[in-house]
Amino acid sequence: MNALREKARELLATKTVQVVIGYAPGSGGAARALFVREAAQAGELVFDETCLQNLAAYLMKPEVRRLGRAALVARPATLRTILQLAAENQLAESSLLALVPGADGVLSLSTFSAIEAHVAAQDNDLSAAEKSELEKFAAMGLDERREFWQEQFSRCLKCYACRAACPLCYCTRCTVECNQPQWIPVPAHDLGNLEWNVMRAMHLAGRCTNCGDCSRACPVGIPLYLLNQKLCSDVLSSFNQRSGMAARADHSLSTFKPDDPEDFIR
Amino acid sequence: MPDFQPKIVAFVCNWCTYAGADLTGTSRMKYSPQVSIIRFPCTGRIDFMLLLKAFASGADGIIVSGCHPNDCHYSSGNFHARRRWIIFRGLLDFLGIDVRRVQFSWVSAAEGAKWAQLVNETSERIRELGPFAGYQRLRGLGVG
Amino acid sequence: MARIGVFICHCGENISATVDVKQVAAAAARIPGVAHSVEYKYMCSDPGQQLVKDAIREKGLTGVVVAACSPRMHEPTFRRACAETGLNPFLCEMANIREHCSWVHEKGDATTEKAIDIVRTLVAKVKKNKALQPIQVPVTKVALVIGGGIAGIQASLDIANAGHRVILVEREPSIGGHMSQLSETFPTLDCSQCILTPRMVEVAQHPNITLYSYAELESLDGFIGNFKARIRRKARSLDETLCTGCGLCTQKCPTRKIPGEFDAGLGLRPAIYVPFPQAVPNKPVIDREHCTYYRTGKCRLCEKICPTQAIRFDQLDEIVEVEVGAVVVATGFDIKHGDFFPEYGYGKYPDVIDGLQFERLASASGPTLGEIRRPSDGKVPETVVFVACAGSRDPAKGIEYCSKICCMYTAKHAMLYRHKVHGGKPYVFYMDIRAGGKMYEEFVRRAMEEDGVQYVRGRISRVFERDGKLVVKGADTLLGARPMEIEADLVVLATAAVAQPGAEELAQKLHVSYDAHRFFSEAHPKLRPVETNTAGIFLAGACQAPKDIPESVAQASGAAAKVAALFSRSELVREPLIAVVDRQPPPVYSSCVGCFLCQSACPYQAIEKEEIRGRDGQLIKTVARVNPGLCQGCGTCVAFCRTKSIDIQGFSHEQVHAEVLALLNRGERDA
Ligand SMILES: Cc1cc2nc3c(=O)[nH]c(=O)nc-3n(C[C@H](O)[C@H](O)[C@H](O)COP(=O)(O)OP(=O)(O)OC[C@H]3O[C@@H](n4cnc5c(N)ncnc54)[C@H](O)[C@@H]3O)c2cc1C
Ligand code: SF4
Ligand code: SF4
Ligand code: SF4
Repeated sequence: MNALREKARELLATKTVQVVIGYAPGSGGAARALFVREAAQAGELVFDETCLQNLAAYLMKPEVRRLGRAALVARPATLRTILQLAAENQLAESSLLALVPGADGVLSLSTFSAIEAHVAAQDNDLSAAEKSELEKFAAMGLDERREFWQEQFSRCLKCYACRAACPLCYCTRCTVECNQPQWIPVPAHDLGNLEWNVMRAMHLAGRCTNCGDCSRACPVGIPLYLLNQKLCSDVLSSFNQRSGMAARADHSLSTFKPDDPEDFIR
Repeated sequence: MPDFQPKIVAFVCNWCTYAGADLTGTSRMKYSPQVSIIRFPCTGRIDFMLLLKAFASGADGIIVSGCHPNDCHYSSGNFHARRRWIIFRGLLDFLGIDVRRVQFSWVSAAEGAKWAQLVNETSERIRELGPFAGYQRLRGLGVG
Repeated sequence: MARIGVFICHCGENISATVDVKQVAAAAARIPGVAHSVEYKYMCSDPGQQLVKDAIREKGLTGVVVAACSPRMHEPTFRRACAETGLNPFLCEMANIREHCSWVHEKGDATTEKAIDIVRTLVAKVKKNKALQPIQVPVTKVALVIGGGIAGIQASLDIANAGHRVILVEREPSIGGHMSQLSETFPTLDCSQCILTPRMVEVAQHPNITLYSYAELESLDGFIGNFKARIRRKARSLDETLCTGCGLCTQKCPTRKIPGEFDAGLGLRPAIYVPFPQAVPNKPVIDREHCTYYRTGKCRLCEKICPTQAIRFDQLDEIVEVEVGAVVVATGFDIKHGDFFPEYGYGKYPDVIDGLQFERLASASGPTLGEIRRPSDGKVPETVVFVACAGSRDPAKGIEYCSKICCMYTAKHAMLYRHKVHGGKPYVFYMDIRAGGKMYEEFVRRAMEEDGVQYVRGRISRVFERDGKLVVKGADTLLGARPMEIEADLVVLATAAVAQPGAEELAQKLHVSYDAHRFFSEAHPKLRPVETNTAGIFLAGACQAPKDIPESVAQASGAAAKVAALFSRSELVREPLIAVVDRQPPPVYSSCVGCFLCQSACPYQAIEKEEIRGRDGQLIKTVARVNPGLCQGCGTCVAFCRTKSIDIQGFSHEQVHAEVLALLNRGERDA
């Protein structure tokens, strides 16, 4: 942690960056985001297991961009988000630097290729627990799954907190906001809620880096991560692709292979 | 429900399946009238949102059909579509939506007979599955 | 308020026999927005069309639905009829109640109901249709031909003879390509040079053709009708306008021991050279890698003896910029060289050679003046083994495909050898003989039957040297895999035909796609074999796949015809059924977020980046833009866009959304 503070201080003092985006102790057992703009303030930074938020989301906010070059305290998913955003033409390499706290100090990754190398070396698979949860779902009957999700979605408020938290939901106009035609009914009811959630998941397929911020943001506790993890695992098993592995990568759904599986097509 | 007549929407591409269905007609082959076609330039154009809208509007089943791989009029629209459907089907299934209600297929402009057969088989399957009550209940219509 | 006219056709009895057309007309009249609904015996007949036209005028219709046969049949007819009244043709749709309804269902209520459903669907669509204007793209009537082999030559001549200007870019110092290296050509055995050189000269003299030899494409921007090409003219070290082609320099150059490309390494050439006597242009080039002056700073002999002082040692590459409307890619192929076949000793034993080397040995202009003498000691070989499919059709070597030309040229080689070396013993090892083509099978038969070439079906396992002979080990699979051993003096491998080196790089410059073997991809394997997926760029010859000369020439003429058709008008007019990306005032705004997923999905590279800038010139954002010259209207991009910023005219979000809702809501909703 000291190494992180030291690094932040140095980056700000040398004007290498104009802001360090990191974590400070927060309420309810989860750290909150901290924007450090003065070297003197760097001592407030923390890094521990409560630091879960994917800070890359801030890189997409105009008010944060205006501050100048940012150093971002990055978790594994954050790094992949950065690469995914870059692959979607949303980030300039010169606009950021990633700080990866580790056992022996803090690693500062200032280029996309450095981030790529780091990501390639880290474990990007779903965890054993995550996999077994998906397996449990696969083993359930169709009706059981439908009832589960119907119950979950019936609680959705259409507050779009999940969308606001998601670093990849950077669109300035979301499909739900289109009214010519109105794709998704505005009020929160079972049909619209289902459509909204299917759409959200589909729009993240092949892009989501499984940071989990959507589920953490949902005020009614819908396990959105399950949908995302299901799609991550399908994209991997069907196309052998993972999101956020490279800054110049073809998106798995806007590319194809002539021999993609098609056993379901008659 | 012996006299249940399902409503089935077919989303097809202009160049292969639409033309294939034209051939079914010119060859005077008969099939079940519960299926109606909506024409698209290419399967690549077919947005998954339209499938959701079809179910929301009361479809009991959906057919999506285009050119066989390597025969796409636009060379790769169907390949893009195929990827999309792989993911979409997986998601529907995960949400407990019976993917047997969505039939994907490749029907070429020469396969008039395949089209008739596809429509009949799909209609039969949807008839067996019954009205898409689960979805229609969401819509607040109940099942008649 | 929409005023839609619905016109229901009986099609004689084709529709009315199973569909109650009166009921359909009555139901259509009740659809909100429908101002007029009639049925008629033959809508497509002149009186039928008149009915539509009169109604448009009299009832002030804003849209038309013709419920009849397939739009693939009569959509153009009815759109034209609408246009004649001044109604925008894209406000007319057809409801297919014949092929998709009356012909495929039995007479009855369900069939009539379905016909009504279809009409309602199309009425809902047409209400959302927009008047569209055809797209006009200006066309620069100059063609760029890349590659001056027989394919590029033919394409250039055809386009030039159609009256258009051509810029021909050839990488090597001379045009001619592989054909210029060939001795005699199957299936007629006429001399390659004799039929090729007149065409080369025609290229040089044609007033419509500008030839840039020793030049390469640097970059290509733009789109159909409007490309900008930058061409790098590599320094020849020579002022071409002064050089008379007298050849004194090439005779006097002291640096003479360089293996010549033209003779496939079997002959030697000087550092300043003309690749072959009939070269076009017949102007030398200094090979700077080998020239003594460039290597040591001393010599400049050629400069001294040149009677017109044309040598320019300090010449630099020059970039020429040209504007062209179409591009023909004719960069040809190559054959596998080098250590591709260690087991056959290719690249190790001088007397194991490839097909092109044999062509040079057999050529009257070659290093042996047409006598078959083996490279190692100049001896006339008594036994020659020809190996077909050397690498082709061999997944283990990474080449699954058939090189197509080898069966034929191997037969030719064996024949030429027999003609030149009386008593010589030619063997051909082959897997299958593929001699599809006019007079091709007969040609191979002739080799076997008249010229006594010994054909052995089987693969060679190894070639090694023993007592000055090449021992070829193989098996005759027709004789129950009987092992065979032949002592040969010369082994000729028909090595696989492969893509040109640099094909990939060129494809990227041109934005055309290529296959797994780096041959350029045609737009459609059956119906658009000379086009690429990028409009305005065409393919000719062996750059698309291995081909022989007649096929290369045919494709070249095909490509030229496409170019001539494109150049037949000064503007390209296209149907406006293409994608567009949202733009709104003030002064420019777009909901596009610039993720460019649409760009990677587009099969035609039709999506470009456009910068939106504020009044002060500050970059606001980079968004997508569809190039109307390139978009083919597939709509693949549309389904990828999360912000619904890209839409396709004629099949827009609003149109198809309305269709889905209308189809399923019998009488429920209709906004
Ligand atoms: C051993 C052998 C024997 C053959 N015998 C016969 C025969 O008897 N009868 C027959 O019909 N066919 C024969 N063929 C086939 C024949 O050679 C080809 O069909 C023909 O050469 C194809 O012509 P092309 O113009 O497409 O390609 P090429 O002849 O390869 O010409 C391509 C041209 O493009 C130029 N080029 C390449 N890349 C670039 C670039 N990036 N920029 C600019 N220029 C470039 C090259 O320098 C070359 O001049 C034989 C082939 C071989 C290998
Ligand atoms: S955060 Fe939860 S409640 Fe809000 S829109 Fe997303 S899923 Fe629905
Ligand atoms: S997919 Fe949509 S948002 Fe993304 S670049 Fe294309 S038009 Fe813009
Ligand atoms: S409609 Fe098809 S061709 Fe046109 S821009 Fe979109 S993807 Fe490309």
